[in-house]
Amino acid sequence: MESYHGEYGSLLDSDFQDFIARGLPSGLCGMLPDDLPRLSVLQQNLIGEGSHRLLSSSIRLNIEPKSLTKLPTHSCEVILIERLPIGVFADPFELQHLLQRGVFNNIAVFGDTNLELPSFLSNHSVVEVHMDVGPNLLISHKNGPYINIALPLHARYPPLDASGYSRVKFGAPDVFMCCSIEGNSPNQSCLFSPTGDGAELGSGEIVWRIPAGRKTHAEVVSIVTFISAIVSTLFIVLASIFYSKAIPYKTLKQS
Amino acid sequence: MTSVNIRALLLFSAIFRVILILYGEWQDSHMEVRYTDVDYLVFSDAASLMASGDSPYKRTTYRYSPLLAFLLIPNAIIHRSWGKFLFSASDLLVGFFIRSILKLRRVPENLCTYSVMIWLLNPFTFTIGTRGNCEPIVCAVILWIIICLMNGNVLQAAFWYGLVVHFRIYPIIYALPIILILDSNFFHSGQKPFLSYWTAGHGKTTQSSTDATYHYNMQNVLTKIFTRQRVMFGLVSAIVFFSFTGLFFYLYGWAFLHEALLYHLTRTDPRHNFSVYFYHIYLHYEKEISVLEKFISFLPQFMVQLVLISCFAQDFPICFFVQTVAFVAFNKVITAQYFVWFFCLLPLILPWSSMKLKWEGICCFSVWMGAQIHWLMWGYMLEFKGKNVFLQLWMASLVFLAANTLVLIMIIRHHRYSPVFRHLELKSSKNSVKLE
Repeated sequence: MESYHGEYGSLLDSDFQDFIARGLPSGLCGMLPDDLPRLSVLQQNLIGEGSHRLLSSSIRLNIEPKSLTKLPTHSCEVILIERLPIGVFADPFELQHLLQRGVFNNIAVFGDTNLELPSFLSNHSVVEVHMDVGPNLLISHKNGPYINIALPLHARYPPLDASGYSRVKFGAPDVFMCCSIEGNSPNQSCLFSPTGDGAELGSGEIVWRIPAGRKTHAEVVSIVTFISAIVSTLFIVLASIFYSKAIPYKTLKQS
Repeated sequence: MTSVNIRALLLFSAIFRVILILYGEWQDSHMEVRYTDVDYLVFSDAASLMASGDSPYKRTTYRYSPLLAFLLIPNAIIHRSWGKFLFSASDLLVGFFIRSILKLRRVPENLCTYSVMIWLLNPFTFTIGTRGNCEPIVCAVILWIIICLMNGNVLQAAFWYGLVVHFRIYPIIYALPIILILDSNFFHSGQKPFLSYWTAGHGKTTQSSTDATYHYNMQNVLTKIFTRQRVMFGLVSAIVFFSFTGLFFYLYGWAFLHEALLYHLTRTDPRHNFSVYFYHIYLHYEKEISVLEKFISFLPQFMVQLVLISCFAQDFPICFFVQTVAFVAFNKVITAQYFVWFFCLLPLILPWSSMKLKWEGICCFSVWMGAQIHWLMWGYMLEFKGKNVFLQLWMASLVFLAANTLVLIMIIRHHRYSPVFRHLELKSSKNSVKLE
């Protein structure tokens, strides 16, 4: 991912799809034994309320039960590439903290990571997550084992909207499996994508409703804000003059 | 016996802060929600960068002087809590300085102790240092400047003033009152200024003699405006400010200037905060703000500061206090850490306040805290429940401004105005204040 971002500098979806179609080393995977896990259904959910939520991605794996024990020999990891829409961002420092706590194998954010700017002054960003596929990390389920990746995300201040809410839509992430194969040269690894292997997105489109300011408020808010500031100023000025002991005429009165 | 109380108070406060810091370390490593302030992690990262020879501004959102990162270099070398211990020690130093200032004006021991307790036992105070916020250092420097001025050390006061304005900009609002009190009637070279002492006086009867010695009129201001002390203070503080600024500009370039200085001067954060202006800024963020609008929004701040300085400069503890409260209340952005700026000055004015705890004091406290809690409630609804309550939150910030105004007026109303300095040549005259 880093090499992609460094080389292309662009995070547009169309460019990225071209890159995936052309560039990834998937050839080797075709020669691998069938006991490698295959990715099947991917489900995504937005957990939580408010401006700070978790994007939870559950990736179901198709794997032969007897192959589960073989996993350490083919050390595999799931790579999730989440392209974030403009209205939300991931805090790189928060992700570093999670990395230190061992939640992920590796994680990185590319693109616009400014934590403070509102939406219309921001740009795309991408989060790349690596997660080991080891027997201890697989969660058992009646439909098969799956991996869960929970990404903490934060909402930016959205552009003004008459409805009072801005809708931010998430696209489907790109999921890959990267396995390093033992036996041959140690650096040999393969990377394959579930697209075309029958994987599907199990959930519908994810939409995040973020509160937005209403343009109709603008005039009233501005006028009332400035009037309040001026009224408070007047009160303070009057109180200072009236209660202060530094006014000359008061000394004349007392002497 | 009462001096043992102060020592016991300081010791207890110190131990309590150490316990809090240790608890904070535990909470950070065992719970999802950190005790430590996010800013502290920013300072620490910047300090590590500096320790390895890099610019601290490579750390995004580091918006302070490189001096802060320098002070926190031991975070990377010794232990990551070094900074918290430093800030908590500054916090204790503030308590010590408060006592020193009150003792200089001969405030009775029990009043001194209560005033120091207002600072040391304030929950806001002990959490701010132990969570890793750097404001206690600024407060300690401001109080030290006050001590220097009261002792007649104008040069030292000027040095620290230049340094603190470089560090945190907002103390620039104290420039005019300081210049005003450096009057040749109070300051002669080689002589310590005479301080007016605390009296238990009730009502206005004790004021007449001090008023008679205080000739505040335009003629004096114009003819004596360029006194030796004023020129020295202005020059030295300006030299110190520009030296530090120049040095760090040389070392870190435009990144330093943008992040540490210009950002604070031009900051218009549309994200919700206590300020009445936040919603107006958000609603107009996409448009350019006209010069007229900028002027109108600056006018209340400017007027209030000018009037407060004109009325209270000679009694500069109350002047600094009311200026700071007003500055924070009318600022474009208000965050909770700004409150420490005036909390450290509050104990300096309490011995001269005729406000009783029951019920005026409790009323002021309740109104101010109530308005804050009300705002926080709407803020929670917006940020953590995702409800569009912008209008209600904005109205809560109007209520908070009203609460600030009310508390400010109450404090002004109950304050016994007493200029800090007495005229040097009138010391032996029958017009001088009688010591009781």
